[in-house]
Amino acid sequence: MVRLYTKDLNIGYHEHLIVKNLNIEIPDQKITAIIGPNGCGKSTLLKTLTRIITPQSGTVVLDGKQIFNENTKVLARKMAILPQTPESPGGLTVGELVSYGRFPYQKGFGHLTKKDYEVIDWALEVTGTIQFKYRPVDSLSGGQRQRVWIAMALAQEMDIIFLDEPTTYLDMAHQLEVLELLQKLNVEQGRTIVMVLHDLNQAARFADYIIALKDGKIVKAGNGEEVMTRDVLKQVFHIDAEIGRDPRTNKPICLTYHLVKGE
Amino acid sequence: MIQSALIKKQRRILVILLVLIMATMVMGMGTGYSSLSYDRLIPVLFGHGTFKEEFVLFSIRLPRIVITLLAGMALALSGAILQGITRNDLADPGILGINSGAGVGVAVFFLFFPVQSDSFAYLIPLIAFISALFTACFIYLLSYNRNAGLQPVRLVLLGVGCSMALSGAMIVLISSAERTKVDFIAKWLAGNIWGDDWPFILAILPWLIVLIPFTLYKANRLNILELSEPVAIGVGLEIQKERILLIITAVALAASSVSVTGGISFIGLMAPHIAKALIGPRNQLFIPIAILIGGWLLLFADTIGRNIAGGIPAGIMVSLIGAPYFIYLLLRK
Repeated sequence: MVRLYTKDLNIGYHEHLIVKNLNIEIPDQKITAIIGPNGCGKSTLLKTLTRIITPQSGTVVLDGKQIFNENTKVLARKMAILPQTPESPGGLTVGELVSYGRFPYQKGFGHLTKKDYEVIDWALEVTGTIQFKYRPVDSLSGGQRQRVWIAMALAQEMDIIFLDEPTTYLDMAHQLEVLELLQKLNVEQGRTIVMVLHDLNQAARFADYIIALKDGKIVKAGNGEEVMTRDVLKQVFHIDAEIGRDPRTNKPICLTYHLVKGE
Repeated sequence: MIQSALIKKQRRILVILLVLIMATMVMGMGTGYSSLSYDRLIPVLFGHGTFKEEFVLFSIRLPRIVITLLAGMALALSGAILQGITRNDLADPGILGINSGAGVGVAVFFLFFPVQSDSFAYLIPLIAFISALFTACFIYLLSYNRNAGLQPVRLVLLGVGCSMALSGAMIVLISSAERTKVDFIAKWLAGNIWGDDWPFILAILPWLIVLIPFTLYKANRLNILELSEPVAIGVGLEIQKERILLIITAVALAASSVSVTGGISFIGLMAPHIAKALIGPRNQLFIPIAILIGGWLLLFADTIGRNIAGGIPAGIMVSLIGAPYFIYLLLRK
């Protein structure tokens, strides 16, 4: 039995459902990627899994409890969210931002304990951002900033981290840096990673489990081998793809593609 | 996690502001319609003045100074909270319809309920407070969405709309009223410090004593609310509950202030703004500074206003300073 799953999830308003009758299980201590065309409901699904949106019907269950009835601070010790393009107020330092990740453990005025300081430093250390501790967040580059936000999530000492397109707006090297960091958190610390990704090859390379969505429904869910097929990609993205093998990682890779013509 | 250099800077600014406030208080005590010269201030304060001097200082000037200071503080704190929860630097207690709501309440009461002028003076803060609260509740109910909860943007838009509508209602009311009554209401609307007697202090001081520590207690939550909504939810903040509590706090503060001073705008906008420019966005640091700036600004405006040109209402003095500042802000964005 997995820790996190959804039950007959319908998300949206009235007749206009974005996600329809969705049942998925998120494998524990694995990297899961959610892929699909624009507007397929992947971000909406991520927001519902993290209680930002309340579904119209159905529910999300974590550790046997429905998350929408659960104490939100208790949940924050189990799961963290990194939204698509998070903003931070001007002048806020990296250390301060990461310290907000300690909120679920704080009481009263929010003074930081010795333990809090240790966790903050540890999170900065792991993400390779300790040297920026006293720098303002808005003075960092996109890739550095993304790692700082991941550090804030780590400061929550959570088991599951959700990321909405963590590589958007980053150059190729920084995209890889962020994904490798996430992989490290998964392999070395056993954290469950759930992320929405646009790049199929990145999904195939880093994810243990891929959920391919279209129009709010699952077309295919499984490992890279099962999802990265001509047939699935045709159904999901309406493309005619040429699938090969990555000569270095031996994972499936989309070499080139055309739009499916006609019909 | 805040650097100690920053905390020291905040302490320095607080001391400077306290000195400014003291200086302005002394200036205010020694100037005015009746003569009470500066060299007589200290003897009078220690009880060695004549009856007339004591009357001028203790019954006229001091209560007014204290009220003005407190009202400015309440407006600044209210503005700081509103700017935090709406994540909009241009938010001001006026946008929640507090000023206009109180204005209509006072106008209706004044025009349609004939009462003795003595008891009326003490009823006004109460009427203003209740109508301000009523207006804010109304706007709140309209902006509440069963699915999405309370959306700050909706609240601001509806607030601005309601303020306009109420101002319109005000004009209708005034245009049908007698000349003498209109003069009074116009003065009230312009933000004439009106409660200038010791009992009025009781209308505002308890709110500040309770709500300043409460807001500072919530400062860290305000910091987190100023990040995006998903981030705030992600770290386990109950955003609906916190927003509602903080809005109630802001409304209570603004309503208590408007009840003794009439409609005063810009303090709630300017004070938090200047404070943030001085010390940065951390709520626990800038809020105390904003409170002192707000108190000082209104005190300063009133002290100047009542001594030139036969008395200009503090609200107009503040607007004279505030409007250019507002335009500057808009241009800079």
